[in-house]
Amino acid sequence: MSLVREAFRQLRKKPCTLKYPVEKSAPTQGFRGLPVWDMEKCILCVLCQNACPPGAIKLVGKGQEAEIEYFLDRCIFCEECVEACPKKAISMSGEFELANFDRGKMRFRFRKERAPQKPQ
Amino acid sequence: MTQIIAFEIFELLVFPGIAFMVLMGFLFEWVDRKFFARIQSRYGPLYTGPVGILQPFADFVKLLSKEDMVPRACDRGLFTFVPILYATLPLTALFLIPIASEAGLVEFDGDLILLIFIFGMTTIAVFLAGWSSMSRFSILGSVRSVLQMLSYEIPLGLVLIGPAIATKSLSIGEIVRWQASNGAWFLWLQPIGFAILVICLLAELELIPFDIPEAETEIVAGWRTEFSGRKLAMFRLGRDLEIVLAASVVASIYLGGAQAIGPIPPAFSFILKALGALLIFSFTRALFARLRIDQMITGMWKFLLPLAIAQVALLQIELGAFG
Amino acid sequence: MGYASTIKVPFGPQHPALKEPEHFLFEVEGDTVVGVKPRIGYVHRGMEKAFELGTYTHDLYLAERICGICTAAHTTCYTQAVEELMGIEAPPRAKYIRTIIAELERIQSHSLWIGIVAHEAGFDTFFMYVWRDREAVMNLFEELTGGRVLHAMNAIGGVRRDITPEGASKIRKVLDYFEGRTKEYLRVIRTEQTFLKRTQGVGILKPNEAVKLGAVGPTLRASGRKDDVRIDDPYVAYGEIPFNAISSDGCDALSRTLVRAEEMIESIRIIRHALDKMPVGAIRVRAPKVAPPAETVSRVEAPRGELIHYARSNGTAKPERYKVRSPTLANIPSLCKTLTGIHVADIPIILAGIDPCFSCMDRLLVPVKGGGGTRHIAKLRVG
Repeated sequence: MSLVREAFRQLRKKPCTLKYPVEKSAPTQGFRGLPVWDMEKCILCVLCQNACPPGAIKLVGKGQEAEIEYFLDRCIFCEECVEACPKKAISMSGEFELANFDRGKMRFRFRKERAPQKPQ
Repeated sequence: MTQIIAFEIFELLVFPGIAFMVLMGFLFEWVDRKFFARIQSRYGPLYTGPVGILQPFADFVKLLSKEDMVPRACDRGLFTFVPILYATLPLTALFLIPIASEAGLVEFDGDLILLIFIFGMTTIAVFLAGWSSMSRFSILGSVRSVLQMLSYEIPLGLVLIGPAIATKSLSIGEIVRWQASNGAWFLWLQPIGFAILVICLLAELELIPFDIPEAETEIVAGWRTEFSGRKLAMFRLGRDLEIVLAASVVASIYLGGAQAIGPIPPAFSFILKALGALLIFSFTRALFARLRIDQMITGMWKFLLPLAIAQVALLQIELGAFG
Repeated sequence: MGYASTIKVPFGPQHPALKEPEHFLFEVEGDTVVGVKPRIGYVHRGMEKAFELGTYTHDLYLAERICGICTAAHTTCYTQAVEELMGIEAPPRAKYIRTIIAELERIQSHSLWIGIVAHEAGFDTFFMYVWRDREAVMNLFEELTGGRVLHAMNAIGGVRRDITPEGASKIRKVLDYFEGRTKEYLRVIRTEQTFLKRTQGVGILKPNEAVKLGAVGPTLRASGRKDDVRIDDPYVAYGEIPFNAISSDGCDALSRTLVRAEEMIESIRIIRHALDKMPVGAIRVRAPKVAPPAETVSRVEAPRGELIHYARSNGTAKPERYKVRSPTLANIPSLCKTLTGIHVADIPIILAGIDPCFSCMDRLLVPVKGGGGTRHIAKLRVG
């Protein structure tokens, strides 16, 4: 009978379950969610690709035309890329609702803004 | 004449007959699950229907549509028959309980004994269910259920007979009418009997702390392990009806039963009292850990049985002293 | 016509009593267990080979994922081993932070375990309450480290994030709340009659048997011994923090529960002391990419007991050999001893009593001489 008082107390309170997806638990500051590349700062140095343990980052292409391909289905959200980047171009957002049925949607490409061509 | 027959058929099949009892079964399961969940700081059924009230019905329908797997080594006839038996036995007993009026649908002197007999038959059905499954977990579960029945059967019978002795009648309807006419409930006339009845019914319904035959963490699902699909749906329905039966028995024999209070119809007060008994069951279910079978047998024989005998003895003394 | 007097009841690999898959074949006579044959290896993932394929930094994340509940213990042990191989040492502040994270993880693991043992005993309401309160610690982890379960706090050479004064005050608040709750759990465990009936006198493991069979952690400390790696062989900041090893003389499942609950309170004291005395300074030193040839053994006190990592380097950026001996494996022989002669209903409580973490445990590597062919891992037989 040792739980009687607690049981009565609990009956008066709201349950501690969150009614997801209507009620969500907001991720905290510094939560390791989906990494996002800020291509203005990125210098395409390949250090993030070398640092990534599961190989979820690949630099595709050459020179200033190269793109960063990020494989969400390989990522382990460890922040090594964030630490490795010399220009602090990568940051972990708070996004965690990343499940998907389609593998194609698990690949992200980040490319630099092309400078507008000078009119001839 | 045909009007009377039509009315009787309506009473038998709809209210307070089979349809009403099945609906009460689902309602009681919902109340039990919600109350149990709220004590544990969670919601319970939430999405099916408003506040999840359709959840038990949805579970039943889902189970009906699932694959019915039959183990190769089982006793087929018994395996198929027992779920039906388990679902219809409480239904039969519910006909004896006064619900819509101060007399049950079927009433005769001695129906209390039939009720006790049906309680025992339900446990036999459980035993047969496990035995016919021919699976290790089922056999362990069914053996435990029989051991459990041997322990609680006698105290259960004694505390049900207590009010019968006081009212000098073996009919449930008679007991209800006695409580109505004397304005007294056996709840305070025989409080020890009430407590023992609740404990014995917890053992009968296999609820914690006595859910030993279907201890989930020890023997998977005990005697219910091998059943699936329609048969499991029948077992769930039977379990819900058993809970209704147990709550109704408590409500009728100790809490006054179906009595009209002024303009309020008897069925209403009956449902309220049965819900009250259900809440007592759910609350007790939430508070305790599961006992071991030998601890349960020891406790029943050493404490509960002497207390039940003491209650009946006290009653006899009371009757002898006050006439 | 003779009938066998015993039946064989299989527990697992899938069973509601086991949270992780392992196989235990019980021989049951009536309601008494007369024999048990464990068969382990269902969660074998080839981790020790995987360690050899990655660099030291990549292997850190592999070590983190050996187990979900004791991640901090594994990464602490790993970083200690690799730092020794490389000849570097983490700065003092990093050691204190490692201590705090390890103790927070101990609290989280023990409260998870108390919920599990309550569930095995059928005490579901208590299980729900404990896990509700455990959420406070998980949310704290999310705020401090960015992840609820996988903290990624330890790095080779120190820790990756600092604990700010804000973070420290959050920790203190959670600790105050949790201390009150733990005292309440202790009260319930000591006074709830049905729970006491299920755990008192159940699964007796005598002290000399426990030592002979190699039990570790709270399982050993509940049999009267005071062995605790944090005291016997201090690592990170434990040498500078005064605390006691909790032990009990009961030798039964109840003692194991009480030892773990009281260890939670002791952990709260350790964290408070560490927060008060935390030195200022750097939290990380740079680690080289390559480790010179060396071999080392590193021990920590994981929530389940003594965890040992062995590492061997050969001058390259990848380890040559890495071995993990987790505490659950050490507790299996004593588990089998306590599982004989008991009621069937006691099985889940005794199984849960060693705090099994089978995903930590399955790491047997059987070398096959001469190449080719397969070999069945021999069944453990304890007598």
